[in-house]
Amino acid sequence: MNYFEEEEYQDSKFDVKVWYKIFSYMKPFKRNVILGILAAVVLAAIDTIYPLINKYAIDEIIETRSLEKLPYFIAFYVVIMFLIGIMVYTFIIHAGQVQQKLSFALRKDAFKKLHELPFSYYDKTPVGWIMARMTSDSRNLSDILSWGLIDLSWGMLMMTGITIVMLITNLKLALITLSVLPLLIGLSIYFRTKILKAYRKIRKENSKITGSFNEGITGAKTTKTLVLEKENFNDFDGLTSNMKRHSIRAAMFAGLYFPSILFIATIATGLVIYYGGMDVNSDIITFGMLYLFIAYISSFFEPVMQLANILARFQQAQASAERLIDLIEKEPEIFDTKDVVEKYGDAINFKKENWEELIGDVEFKNVTFKYSKGETVLKDFNLHVKAGQNIALVGQTGAGKSTIVNLICRFYEPTSGEILIDGRDYKERSIGWLHDNLGYVLQSPHLFSGSILENIRYGRPDATIEEVIYASKLVEADNFIVEFKDGYDTEVGEGGTRLSVGQKQLISFARALIANPKILILDEATSSVDTKTEKSIQRAIKIVLEGRTSFVIAHRLSTITSSDSILVLEDGKIIEEGTHKELIKLEKHYFKLYTNQFKSKVIEESKNE
Amino acid sequence: MKRLKQFFKWMKGNKRYYLVASLLLISLQYFRTLTPLFIQHTIDTILLGKESNLPGFIQNLLNADTVQKQLLLIAVVYVLFALMRVIIMVIRRFVNAFFTERIAYNMRNTLYKKIQNLSFSYHSKAETGDLIQRCTTDVETYRVFVGEQLIEILRLIFLMGFSIMQMSRMSGRMTLISLVITPVIFGISFIYFLKVKKIFKKVEEAEAKMTTTIQESVTGIRVVKAFAKEKVEIDKFNGNSEVYMEEQYKLLRLMAIFWGGTDFIIFIQYCLTLSIGIYYSVNGVLDPGQFIAFLSYVGMIVWPMRQLGRIVGDFGKTTVALDRLDEIMLVDSEYVNDSDNKPEITGLVEFKNVGFQFDDDDKPLLKNISFKVNKGESIAIVGKTGSGKSTLINLIIRLLDNQEGKIEFDGVDIKDINKKHLRENVGIIMQEPFLYSRTLYDNISIMNKNAPEDQVYQAATIASLHDDIKAFEGGYSTMVGERGVTLSGGQKQRVAIARMLLNDKPVLVFDDSLSAVDTETDIQIRNALNKHWKNTTVFIITHRITTAMEADKIIVLDKGEIVESGTHQSLLRDDGIYAQLWDIQTNVEYDFMKLDKGVE
Repeated sequence: MNYFEEEEYQDSKFDVKVWYKIFSYMKPFKRNVILGILAAVVLAAIDTIYPLINKYAIDEIIETRSLEKLPYFIAFYVVIMFLIGIMVYTFIIHAGQVQQKLSFALRKDAFKKLHELPFSYYDKTPVGWIMARMTSDSRNLSDILSWGLIDLSWGMLMMTGITIVMLITNLKLALITLSVLPLLIGLSIYFRTKILKAYRKIRKENSKITGSFNEGITGAKTTKTLVLEKENFNDFDGLTSNMKRHSIRAAMFAGLYFPSILFIATIATGLVIYYGGMDVNSDIITFGMLYLFIAYISSFFEPVMQLANILARFQQAQASAERLIDLIEKEPEIFDTKDVVEKYGDAINFKKENWEELIGDVEFKNVTFKYSKGETVLKDFNLHVKAGQNIALVGQTGAGKSTIVNLICRFYEPTSGEILIDGRDYKERSIGWLHDNLGYVLQSPHLFSGSILENIRYGRPDATIEEVIYASKLVEADNFIVEFKDGYDTEVGEGGTRLSVGQKQLISFARALIANPKILILDEATSSVDTKTEKSIQRAIKIVLEGRTSFVIAHRLSTITSSDSILVLEDGKIIEEGTHKELIKLEKHYFKLYTNQFKSKVIEESKNE
Repeated sequence: MKRLKQFFKWMKGNKRYYLVASLLLISLQYFRTLTPLFIQHTIDTILLGKESNLPGFIQNLLNADTVQKQLLLIAVVYVLFALMRVIIMVIRRFVNAFFTERIAYNMRNTLYKKIQNLSFSYHSKAETGDLIQRCTTDVETYRVFVGEQLIEILRLIFLMGFSIMQMSRMSGRMTLISLVITPVIFGISFIYFLKVKKIFKKVEEAEAKMTTTIQESVTGIRVVKAFAKEKVEIDKFNGNSEVYMEEQYKLLRLMAIFWGGTDFIIFIQYCLTLSIGIYYSVNGVLDPGQFIAFLSYVGMIVWPMRQLGRIVGDFGKTTVALDRLDEIMLVDSEYVNDSDNKPEITGLVEFKNVGFQFDDDDKPLLKNISFKVNKGESIAIVGKTGSGKSTLINLIIRLLDNQEGKIEFDGVDIKDINKKHLRENVGIIMQEPFLYSRTLYDNISIMNKNAPEDQVYQAATIASLHDDIKAFEGGYSTMVGERGVTLSGGQKQRVAIARMLLNDKPVLVFDDSLSAVDTETDIQIRNALNKHWKNTTVFIITHRITTAMEADKIIVLDKGEIVESGTHQSLLRDDGIYAQLWDIQTNVEYDFMKLDKGVE
């Protein structure tokens, strides 16, 4: 699991462009937005009218001491009852649908984009960051644009409605009541902003704590062996103490907020009691009118507090919107041109009928490659590998082995020069075409949660069980798989956590084989497998590799001695090339690397014997 | 009763504050139910000259000779009274925040400590995500329960109670009428929230599934791309995403019906109370001010009823959370019954017929293991994946406890040695070491915080790490992990080696810890290490036979048993598994011969 510490975001100015883009996402479900707002309008109207009905009861029925008009009152009430029930229902259904549809659409586009972005994007972007965009940002945004937006309309309309009714019915009392409004709104906004900021800090602390729990759990073995329990706990205590401090602070702001709003409203009520009471006493206004104003003051609170809340949250939501739009609109650095997509299809829709068969001839022509950070790894690199050849890449860390492999896979593209597959620049055909013909086994293999069977079948979903077992037998994985209680149906756990690295390597090997690739890449594919197993695999591979082009990277040189050609790399250049025997005879770099493995006193001694 | 205990046990040390907050809260509810009476007093007493329902002590404050003075007085008293309420409210909230956060703080720390002290076998079975969720979400659930819900229940009950009390002082019959439908509201709300939990759970599951898909797809992006499976992933995700939306819709429909429906019912109660209230008012049973007060009181009963039903219906959540936390807390820490004995450890290690088997396994992982390593000697353990090598290492530092036989350090059974003391004396360098999300410098110096800088750099140099670190933009202050760089497997292993170099230990274990380092670096490191760790007892687990052969003693494990042991020379002469491995890895000609045969 990944946890990512959220960065601090600044309150930025209102950005029309971002909001326009987000709102255009809402076009397909305009109907829901409109119906939701409509329900909010009706509810606001009811909230405004409702005290008027009670006023009617007081003035027209109770004061006149005649029950004649009671049926009207009841009739009004019944209408309101039904209206409220139906409108609340409508409001929730549509606001909720807007929320769901919007976040669905945002997630969908973002996820698709994630699969178009090249590796260089993932080199720079932590998984946690991506997760935060996909989950909390899309949730925040859709939340505020559905419930927030519709609540906002309700609150504004209700306040407007009440204000208008007050002004019409009694100007003097209306002005008295409204006099506290600016104070109410100002205070509300002040507190809301403060509270929101405090909560941001809490969230930040919270993600640190979560990260720390994660570290405490995944690092448990290391912590135990290094006896770092106390240290780690002290660090953790630092985090939770901060959390406590910030939380109490936030709660204090929140604790002051409601009471102070309440107090201001009370002042307004006090004023109305005095002035309204005087007017009642002089028969200028009715009891009902006095009631109406007192009732309206309390109806004012909720929308004011809510408005302040929504406005504050809109600022925050803008940050979410910016990051999401940024992700969705990111231009992938590696992509197929329009012409290519038209002929060969894109990553989602392969046009296999137009695909040429991939033979496996690979050629590097004056390839130069720079990472975005700037270091040049390959310069004017040339290499021609004929279809079916088995190539080993040897050299120290940083010599450029992985880069070459990544370029072949088109995970990266050459900064200059070109790579030809079957004689044509590989950019002339689609990424999907290449990848569909590629088998790639990594040193740190990634398995998906699910069973072993499902994982092997990932290479080719329509593979039969027999084929899966055959592939597993080839890579010597069958032995340990059948030892499990559930055999091929054994769940591998999240990321394959229930298997050892060596086992994962073998399964990912089987997964690559079952796809029947034309080009096979083994990047330290069996480094954690024991020598004997590896040796047996070697023999099998020899058979499997027939007719396929393969590139093998291995530190354990004993595993590559049978390659058709071994390339010894240093600083992005080929310094030696040949078969194992040839290179050994040369007695130069490869020879040194090879014998280094065995160079030791014991060998010397055993020679003397 | 057990439940009650469970609810309160995390509150330890905070009950006093809880009591204070509760008393303040109760008094607040009483004051709140007085406010409608101020209006009643204004209308009925001041303006109509009828009886006041305000309590006597407040009425006494309101005596004046003219109506104007009376109105002014009541307005002022009303505001002052509200001020008092507000002050109590603020104090109550502060106290509340204080103890709530204290409780949460204690919970987090207790859990963290507990988790660190749980045994290795617990950790190897536990799901990280699940544990984290317990420590975060479940703690939060309880925090909300203690800080908000429990208090809220108290608030609602007293608010309703005081309201009923005030109402019945005005009209007993009206009070009864106001309570006709309210129990129904409570019932509906309670049952609804009890039932809707299942759907909530489904929504959560759907969401978790969707999140997992994103997570897996993003972390496994290399595989997805290499197999051209973008479409599969996108389809899978959209499927998950749609299921999640569908579940949300179901929830939404229920929510809409509930809120719309209960609003409807609540207004029936309003209508009933008010209609009859009007009737009584017209007949002179109620005064107009009392009628207006009833308008407020109905609201103080019906809305809280629904809220109360909701909270009580939601109770289950907290119970589940607490059960889940208990599942962690009730597991014994591995330091229970740990020995206090801290004997000197020089490096003499002896295994005497040691056997080990997991409780839930049907066959032993290790059988009858016996060997002896003298101080300063090195021993290599060779064998296939699954032959029991790692288990053996886990036994040495008691991450696992052997059921059979004895492991002795300088003649003392390790079960009689304090665990932390033992681990402090045995350094382990793992195949996949864990790096903490701190700087590289801190990760290396973690074993010896006081080591001078030179020494840290020197350690990194010996481990062939210095140049790698210098290549990072931030050098030694580069952060490791999500917030910084991701190190390769080999780099991690070298960090683990460097950190061991800063703390001399009598026993060292290399658990295949150079597997991801290239051969040349491997040799470089080993040469340097041989110099540095001359007097240390060294255990080496390795696949590289050339690493093993340098050891003073070599044992070959197969299926949990020692099948061969001796020196490199003697094992070669024995011509067993070891000799075979040696052949595979060294004898090129032999190799070719075999391969050629295989191909033809």
